Amino acid sequence: MDENKKIIQVLVAICFLFFIIVGYLTYIQLFRSRDLMANVYNRRQYKIEENTARGNIYDRNGVLLAYSEANGEVQERIYPYGALYSQVIGYSSKVYGKSQIEAAYNNVLLGIDDLSQVFGMVSGSNYPTRKGNNLYLTIDHKLQALGGELLNGRKGAVVAMDPKTGEVLALASSPNFDPHAKKLEENWQSMIESPDAPFLCRATQGLYAPGSTFKILVTAAAVEKGLESKVFDDNGSVVIDGREIRNSESRAYGKIDLKRALAVSSNVVYAQLGTELGMESFVDITYRAGFEKEIPFDIPTSKSRFPYENMNKIDLAEAAIGQGKVLVSPLHMAMITSAIANEGVMMEPVLVKSITNSEGKTTKELKPVKLGNVMEKSVAEKIKIMMQEVVTSGTGHNAAIKGINVAGKTGTAENELSVKKKAKAHSWFVGFAPAEDPKIAVAVIVEYGGSGGDVAASIARRIMSEYLSN
Amino acid sequence: MRGAITYRWPLSLIAVFNIIGYLFLFFSDSPYNPMTLAVGAAATLIICIACFVIIKKDYGDEYLILIVSMLLSFGLMMIYRLDENLGIKQLIWVAIGFVMFFVFYHVYIKVYKWDRFAYIYISLSAVLYLVTLILGKNINGAVNWIVIGGFSFQPAELCKILFVFFLASYFKNPDNLFLGERIRDERLRVLSNRALLMLVAYCNIGFLVLQRELGTALLLYITFLVVVYVFCKDLKMFLLNSAFIVPGAILGYFKFYHLRVRIDAWINPWADITDKGYQIAQSLFAIASGGFFGTGIGMGRPDMVPAVSTDFIFSAICEEMGIFGGVAVVLLCMLFTYRGIKIVLGLRDRFKKVLALGIVTMIGLQTFIIIGGVIKLIPLTGITLPFISYGGSSLVASFIALGILQAVSNPRFDRIGGEADG
Repeated sequence: MDENKKIIQVLVAICFLFFIIVGYLTYIQLFRSRDLMANVYNRRQYKIEENTARGNIYDRNGVLLAYSEANGEVQERIYPYGALYSQVIGYSSKVYGKSQIEAAYNNVLLGIDDLSQVFGMVSGSNYPTRKGNNLYLTIDHKLQALGGELLNGRKGAVVAMDPKTGEVLALASSPNFDPHAKKLEENWQSMIESPDAPFLCRATQGLYAPGSTFKILVTAAAVEKGLESKVFDDNGSVVIDGREIRNSESRAYGKIDLKRALAVSSNVVYAQLGTELGMESFVDITYRAGFEKEIPFDIPTSKSRFPYENMNKIDLAEAAIGQGKVLVSPLHMAMITSAIANEGVMMEPVLVKSITNSEGKTTKELKPVKLGNVMEKSVAEKIKIMMQEVVTSGTGHNAAIKGINVAGKTGTAENELSVKKKAKAHSWFVGFAPAEDPKIAVAVIVEYGGSGGDVAASIARRIMSEYLSN
Repeated sequence: MRGAITYRWPLSLIAVFNIIGYLFLFFSDSPYNPMTLAVGAAATLIICIACFVIIKKDYGDEYLILIVSMLLSFGLMMIYRLDENLGIKQLIWVAIGFVMFFVFYHVYIKVYKWDRFAYIYISLSAVLYLVTLILGKNINGAVNWIVIGGFSFQPAELCKILFVFFLASYFKNPDNLFLGERIRDERLRVLSNRALLMLVAYCNIGFLVLQRELGTALLLYITFLVVVYVFCKDLKMFLLNSAFIVPGAILGYFKFYHLRVRIDAWINPWADITDKGYQIAQSLFAIASGGFFGTGIGMGRPDMVPAVSTDFIFSAICEEMGIFGGVAVVLLCMLFTYRGIKIVLGLRDRFKKVLALGIVTMIGLQTFIIIGGVIKLIPLTGITLPFISYGGSSLVASFIALGILQAVSNPRFDRIGGEADG
């Protein structure tokens, strides 16, 4: 009967609709539930939080950096070192949510692991107060405190890492803010409107012209092209396509090789070198070094930029001395420096060393991850020797530590104010020590700090010697 | 007997489901509440006895009632867990529902010639609609309740059934119901009959829209389309009526504020999460927090979802019994539809066929419309989940529909409702 055929079609259609429901439910659970659970309007979160003491956060040696304390009915988050970790650990506020580590590890700190979330074992109301998991950061509190102290209120950042494992030892940024929830709520509006951008973690999200620190990558490209023994003529200034590029204080060095040129940071030599290398070399080395790529990290980072579509000679010359459109974050500069220290291998930066549960048992330990090869080992070794000369008899002598071989590179980056002579240039230093077996790599930037050889190099020396004295 | 072998196993599963569920509820909350055990025992007893009677006394199809019993168990347990008093009320409604089921079953098989009463169905619906419009109480923004002496009910639920009866009478002898003798010309008679059919259908839908019963209006419309698709010889009538959805939806979107709100909240509930998108967002939060296996009954926070014991009960089931619980409900409804359609296929009398198809489609689609709404698959329309949501009117109406379907399914009464076409 024709009618029965149509009735079966109706049955098939209705069953199809039911299957769509089943499929959509599964889709919600698999792909949307994480966002839904974390939505700020989901009051279940607060119910869980009210009944949970967020886990503690420690530095690598067990110094307590953040903990929760019951204040009547509510759990209050205490940061014993105030602003020092505001851009690493971040804040946890009912009103403004969470940032940085507090946000990235929210579920861990609340003791909601992925498995229990998928299987729905999170209860909103019926548990007594629970304790979340604890985090051990890779940060060394002494270094972090010293970094904060040395910046001394000047805008800038200090990044230190273990070049072989990628563990971040210090990540100090300035200016910063008081992350305590109450203070945050009081100062929110003024901080948002502040031109100093206190919420910006300069170490990971600040983008700066690298200045002469970029020369270490250019040198690597030159060594790869077999230009390491080439001798250049340095008259203190050079004109490329009508654009004059001068050395610092227009000093002339005469006939010098690449090693010497790096040590004295000759802009004249590098500008010429840049035009000789050509765009392809630049694109190649910056690609390997991770420009225009997201850095996998626990807290938000900015992509370093090398945004050229095509480059004329002026672009090549400017890029070679770390000006023009090249931009890097201090964290990325520390990673590049670490790669040279680590035989050309760039490690993924890590901020969390291990996770322990409320009973103190370690539940997860993070292992070093290789991010990529920036250069051949032999090239890295050559750059390392050149960078040592920067410190022993070049612009970086302020970074020298007695009895320890330090490798480094200074940078003095022109900025929007310095070109108009309204302020000093940004002061950069990158380096590592001991050169023969690197234990620490640093990147320091002080905004408007002037010559990199003075301000930034001194800070870097203090950080490295503090770490190596232990 | 076939039934004697097959019913024991599913029936004992239903009993086990109830016993375990209420025991969980009992132990999850101290001080222990003996009422939980009493309600659990009463629910299990009522359901088992009803099933037993229906299967043993040869009331026709044995499976429909088993499926419905499982749905009832889900609903009753969830409602009791959400609100103890509502749960007890719902238990009473379930008892009343079973009584109505038996009453309508027997009334249906006692009365012959149901297909002669088309005008009565129409006028009864009209009266119900008018009474609602005049005496209607505005509850939750919808003017669809009649309150008589503290006892409130929703006439729209009855109108749904009356509408199916009307459709069945019409298609018993298609395009011949109205003005049978007066028009000699065949073409003209078909045309005018179909026009009148559409008039009745759209009057029904129009009244429902006026009462802001958008979900029921949609349900009636789709059921109408399905019946027209199956029982009109040509596709013209179906295509013409399907085409109405486009201008209807556009007109509705711009003319009716409450429809626009629903659609906006469906497209992006996050834009106005504190107001228009609130319900649907809370519903999704509940579903997400349940995971695959749920928080366990009594352990979640479905109380954060508005209207959770009526429209949004599916979200509560998903939160506490997990997606698997939710999928179980969906599959039960699918089984119900399958079983219902199977009955429809076996019927030879036109009137019964239309009647059964209408009832099955209506219950199946009602499930889809409300579940789809609360999971944000389709725009949300306030409508109950059959046999699960709290609510006397809807439960009783569902039971009446089930009673009729059950009666239709019984081959012993083949002659009821008009002679077989042969």
